[in-house]
Amino acid sequence: MLAIILYFAACKQHERAVKIPLEAFFRNSGKSSFQISPDGKQISYVQNQLLYVQDLDGKKGRNLTKKADRIIGYYWANNDMLFYRSAARDKRGERLIAVYTNGKPSQELLPRGRFKISLINPTRIKDNTLFLALNLRDSGLFDAYKLDIAAKKLSLVFKNPGNITEWYVDDDNQLRLAVASDGVNKTLMFRENSQDKFKPVITTNFKTNIKPVGFCRQNKSCIYALSNYGRDKMAIVEFNCLTGKEEKEIFSHKDVDVVEAGYSTKRRGINYAVFETWKKQRIYLNDSAKSVYQKLEKLLPNTEINILSRDSAEKKLIINTFTDVTPGVFYLYTLATNKLLRLSEPDSALSENNLCPMKPQSFKNREGFTINGYLTVPKGSSGKDLPVVVIPHSIAESRNSWGFNSEVQFLANRGYAVFQMNFRGSTGYGKEFYTAGFKKWGTAIQDDITDGVKWLIDSEIADPKRIAIYGTSFGGYSALEGLSLHPELYACGVSYSGFTNLFTFIKSVPPYYKPYQQMFYEKVGNPETDADYFRAYSPIFHTDRIKAPILIAQGTKDPRVNVNETNQFVRELKKRGVLVTYILKQNEGHSFRKQENRQDFYRQLEKFLAEHLTKH
Amino acid sequence: MKEQTLIDRKKNLLLIIIFQVFIFISLVVALFLAYSLTKKYVENEFTSEKVDVQEKTVKPYAEFFQNKIPEISFYQGFLDSASVVKYVDTILTKYAFINKVVFFDTQISNHQIDDGFKLYYFHIGPKAVYQFSRGIQHDSITLYKSTWPNPLSLKVSDEFTKMAVKFSAFVESSDTTRALTTDDQLNTFYNIRPNVITFMSIPRREELSIFKELMFKKLSRSLLYEQDILSFQLTPFKLPIKNTHPELYQKIEIKPLVFEPVDTDPDNISTDIPLPGAFSEYKLYFSSSRSYINREIKNRFFPIACGLLFIYSVLVAVAYLIYRNLNINSRMFKLQYDFINNLTHEFKTPVSVIKIAGNNIRSTTKLSDKERMHYGKILDEEADKLNDLMNRLLSFTQIENKSIHTKIETINLEIFTQNVIDAYQLKYPNFNIEYQVKGDTLFKTDATLLGSLFYNMIDNAYKYSKADSRQLNISIKSDKKHVVFKFKDNGIGIAKEELNNIFKKFYRIQSEYNQKGSVGIGLAFCKELVNFMHGEISVKSTPGRGSEFTIILPHEI
Repeated sequence: MLAIILYFAACKQHERAVKIPLEAFFRNSGKSSFQISPDGKQISYVQNQLLYVQDLDGKKGRNLTKKADRIIGYYWANNDMLFYRSAARDKRGERLIAVYTNGKPSQELLPRGRFKISLINPTRIKDNTLFLALNLRDSGLFDAYKLDIAAKKLSLVFKNPGNITEWYVDDDNQLRLAVASDGVNKTLMFRENSQDKFKPVITTNFKTNIKPVGFCRQNKSCIYALSNYGRDKMAIVEFNCLTGKEEKEIFSHKDVDVVEAGYSTKRRGINYAVFETWKKQRIYLNDSAKSVYQKLEKLLPNTEINILSRDSAEKKLIINTFTDVTPGVFYLYTLATNKLLRLSEPDSALSENNLCPMKPQSFKNREGFTINGYLTVPKGSSGKDLPVVVIPHSIAESRNSWGFNSEVQFLANRGYAVFQMNFRGSTGYGKEFYTAGFKKWGTAIQDDITDGVKWLIDSEIADPKRIAIYGTSFGGYSALEGLSLHPELYACGVSYSGFTNLFTFIKSVPPYYKPYQQMFYEKVGNPETDADYFRAYSPIFHTDRIKAPILIAQGTKDPRVNVNETNQFVRELKKRGVLVTYILKQNEGHSFRKQENRQDFYRQLEKFLAEHLTKH
Repeated sequence: MKEQTLIDRKKNLLLIIIFQVFIFISLVVALFLAYSLTKKYVENEFTSEKVDVQEKTVKPYAEFFQNKIPEISFYQGFLDSASVVKYVDTILTKYAFINKVVFFDTQISNHQIDDGFKLYYFHIGPKAVYQFSRGIQHDSITLYKSTWPNPLSLKVSDEFTKMAVKFSAFVESSDTTRALTTDDQLNTFYNIRPNVITFMSIPRREELSIFKELMFKKLSRSLLYEQDILSFQLTPFKLPIKNTHPELYQKIEIKPLVFEPVDTDPDNISTDIPLPGAFSEYKLYFSSSRSYINREIKNRFFPIACGLLFIYSVLVAVAYLIYRNLNINSRMFKLQYDFINNLTHEFKTPVSVIKIAGNNIRSTTKLSDKERMHYGKILDEEADKLNDLMNRLLSFTQIENKSIHTKIETINLEIFTQNVIDAYQLKYPNFNIEYQVKGDTLFKTDATLLGSLFYNMIDNAYKYSKADSRQLNISIKSDKKHVVFKFKDNGIGIAKEELNNIFKKFYRIQSEYNQKGSVGIGLAFCKELVNFMHGEISVKSTPGRGSEFTIILPHEI
């Protein structure tokens, strides 16, 4: 009997996962962005770009937004009112729109004009007072304003002397903390009372970050911050704004940055710290928070849990859970009853049994650093001699995290192993690791990618003849550089809005980012003094080196990648006899928004990979 | 009968002659047509292939224009005196037809720029001007810097001003929400005139809208936006001419568009094609002498002529083969006809003898013993003859169809030969047969088949010998592999031209010796027999002196 069971189990192992239709992976629909009202009686969510409100039991659901405005982010102002940021279709600027649950017609909270909005305290609104920064005076300068959202009264709180980029409001609605920046150096500015003048506290280079999290309970000059000042890894610290000294380290981790400090506005203290090794882990610094999370973990074992929204009494929570093989599910959690109510149904096509686990995997690069990454192996495969798609992450200064990734799951479901790695320059592993990627696009960063691929080959996971490199944005740039610098390594490559030209990339820093230009120069390079480096590591200057088949996707309105350059690039490659599949989508930006365009891209990606990664 | 064949032959001959004449005429026509077509073709090529030469010759220019000039835009205005050197160096080393490059490091803003151009609030002016060329003095590279006191010279600023005016006009009228079309790009950012191309890096759409704002709105002092303008001075005479058709064009030169040769030599043929783009005031001028072209026509005609001749010779060969086959068929038909004739004749003699004997026996009332013996002997002999005749026919067909069953036994060649000769001596007492046996006397074979061979050979030797010299020498030699039988007679011999035919079926040598008792299958039958026994048969003969037949049979069948 046991033998039979074992036999069937063995059979099952070798069974290939069911082929999931492409559309299931890349659907825009579904309810998301759940939030609960301050009184805990209503739940709001976004579906198909429309904002809805419903009762706790899911009844009386109603749409609050009529036109399909692009909702950039929405918040509860009070129990009857929500507001959201929206980009007007005519691109004349951003708007702030209030909608009401009691049927009152929606209205704009700000006068019409061409400006951008940066919200300062949207989640901590007290007494209907919203703090926000607007560039009304000058497109390059944001001043801090106070908006009485009930009376629609806008008043200037602080006129930007020219260099302030961030503001913080304490829980008594006092603007007491700001960050000034000259692009490279950041200065923390502090005042004890809103009548005082801001005084500089401490100035750091942008590589060093002191990120305020919240104000301390008793001491007015004390703040909690995530800081890597004087250390390599981010830690949660107590910081004295009068002395400019760190008072106390609350939590740190020896290998990785602390990525989140759970600040409770109610308690005015830190509830927990989150650090991310191969997955996010939480350390509790407060017993009540610990008990809440432990109850949740008992109800939802082996999943990642995020608290997205809570009512003002902190008795009802909206949480989101996911794993590497389950896309997000939203729940309403009631502390009093310890009960979960599911708010959204996951897509039945994406059943856990057909998805593939994402395993942490590390290797040593040529300089002996350990590079961490993730390997997702198709279900039922032997784990050896596989066709591999290498995906460098799409922003150089970011990292891959453990969790559900529809792109990775799609490729794994189609039979490819997917390898992602946090190469030098990735965030989360400390300052030194992060800055090691500066001005190393195409060089050290590319070396890490190459070393990762070589490691895959050496450990016999990859079939050396069937390796593709695919990426978006910076990842696309890395794919192009990979094909250009190591034509022997990759069977084919895919660049989705990949940068083809570093000159263009640097030039695309928008004017209201001007203060950051120097920082960009330090991170990527100065187009004038580093012109040789830019030229050597911009794929557009080296079309002659690319030999392998390539898929290029581009939106005509991409502000980062010039469509004319991509056209020229494709033309050059075609002229040289390279097999190019070119997907050019009208009216799309840096990433495709329209569902049919997204699906068309993945359909072509599937076809392209099938064509060039099949065994010969 | 003979007249008929003569007429036939005449008819055939006429047909053959007509055929040959026809073939010859068509060959001549084909050759003539081929020659005139080739000539026309070469002359057409002379005028049409110039496009190819032009394309290959201006290829570096096209490459420069399509790749290297747009590359300036890739630098997004970031080119400065240091980085431009690298760009210009690659161009000057790669393209010999570029004489000089002038680089205007250009700035755009909404406030006064020295030596610049202004439209509304929009200012565009050079920050610095540099020139580059092969072997230029280091100190003369920089032509102008905005920090210098003296203004930009008009001569230098000419190209800049044109571009600045063009660009300002474009900014003034352009719709910045729309993407740039290729037409916009070519009309605005390129200034192409004879021997000079000026290009300005194409700004991004976002920048164009900023420029437009700068132009029409009174804003606070703006940043300085950088653009690059490069002006290239070209010379067509440095274009390397690629004569891709040296067989057609004796000489290719670059000449001004208005050039016409002074000496209009009628023996010279020429054509020309203008150069594109910045070289449009020049043309490629092609010329060849008549004899040069004629040589090319001949070169091309030669293989065609060879091909034609080959096709015609194949045609003639096929015609000959058909003719020969027909001939052989008609001969075979004649041979078969003869054979039946002979055979009937052969059968007729014994049959008529038997008929006469039968009649005689019937008409006599009483037969004496002597008469009875006489008729009996005649009937018996004639029946034997018929029987023999039929046996021979039968065994020949059997051999031919390989339907014979052999019976292999070991014979003593000496005894076997002696027995055969004894039988013949009885039959033909005046036939002198001698024999020698050398080597191993034992031989494994089918005695009947071997006997048939012997009878046929001996019969032939008897038949084709004069009555007074009937002699035959049989020599048998046996070695490890083969037994060689030689039959040498003193007969009439065989003419040389007949030697090839005597082993053919139904073939009979026209001679007085075989008018009777021959059907022309004897030797053919022998050959079939020998083949059947995996041996060989050959003959040597001298007319009037005798023949020698050699039969080689292997020990192992």
